[in-house]
Amino acid sequence: MLMIRHSIGSRLLCQSETYTIDEKEDHWLISLPIDEETASKVLEFQDELNLFVTKEKEKTWFYSSDAQIKFLPKENQLMILADHKTVYPV
Amino acid sequence: MIQLYPASKRYTVKNDWLESNLSFSFGEYYDPSNIRFGPLRVFNDDTVQPGRGFGIHPHREAEIVSIVLKGQLKHEDNLGNAGIIGTGSIQRISAGTGVLHSEFNASKQEEVQFLQLWFSPDEKKLTPSYEDISYDLEQMHNQLLPVISHTGSERVAKIHQDLTLYLSRLDGKETLTFRQEEGRRIYVFTIEGEISINNDNILKSRDAARITDLPEITIQASQDSFFLLIDLPGGEF
Repeated sequence: MLMIRHSIGSRLLCQSETYTIDEKEDHWLISLPIDEETASKVLEFQDELNLFVTKEKEKTWFYSSDAQIKFLPKENQLMILADHKTVYPV
Repeated sequence: MIQLYPASKRYTVKNDWLESNLSFSFGEYYDPSNIRFGPLRVFNDDTVQPGRGFGIHPHREAEIVSIVLKGQLKHEDNLGNAGIIGTGSIQRISAGTGVLHSEFNASKQEEVQFLQLWFSPDEKKLTPSYEDISYDLEQMHNQLLPVISHTGSERVAKIHQDLTLYLSRLDGKETLTFRQEEGRRIYVFTIEGEISINNDNILKSRDAARITDLPEITIQASQDSFFLLIDLPGGEF
């Protein structure tokens, strides 16, 4: 499960079971299907987003420190280029 | 201008281990007209049941201040800091590029009450850091005691924002005057008792005031009171 949350208080903005994460040197390109309305809500807070991939005993936290995020309306895809990744146990 | 925010108007989150009274948008509470007051983004008044707390979780780009009012708070983080702070102590976390931490009630019998405040930092991508200080309870008797400031000093935690946070215990009928540079902001929160600001603005326990364009205020206690005052920068945030 991939969740996109606001960094102030962790309000859930979007979640998806379907997503891809491509590692590119020290960045991670994260993409997920999304509808336009949800994408608009996410983009409204593009400077304050945390992304979490949750597994049974660990979470992986990503963020894009320079808000590198875009919505591709034709494909209904959200693309986020994260430059931070931390894995921690839960 | 003095805007009063009664305690009863705060948003309350309550479950079996936590009661949190929120003065600004936070988590499930989202009000676009109540996001911040200058760099002050979060002012949560939390009570956590014995042995319970916030498990490990991350933060970034925030200056996080916790002021313990009652009980004991157990802190651990991925910077190697671990410890317990109690009444008379203040914790400052600069989340910067990212910190993982947990905060639990250290007691198995007594609840812990603390205020958690978040401020926007004056610089992004800071190296994460942690500090806790103990202040002298006597030094805030009928005066404003700085406990957090931009520069920091002995028994004053350093914060990455142009602000000073003061605590004061004011005896009933006593008066204090606070002055700041023009164009700045003042935030006042009554922890206990009842105070008035410039005579006719009454703040009872847990009420707050957001003050702009008023570089001098007079605070009078109508009974023995404990309050917090933050001298905040003006301008856009």
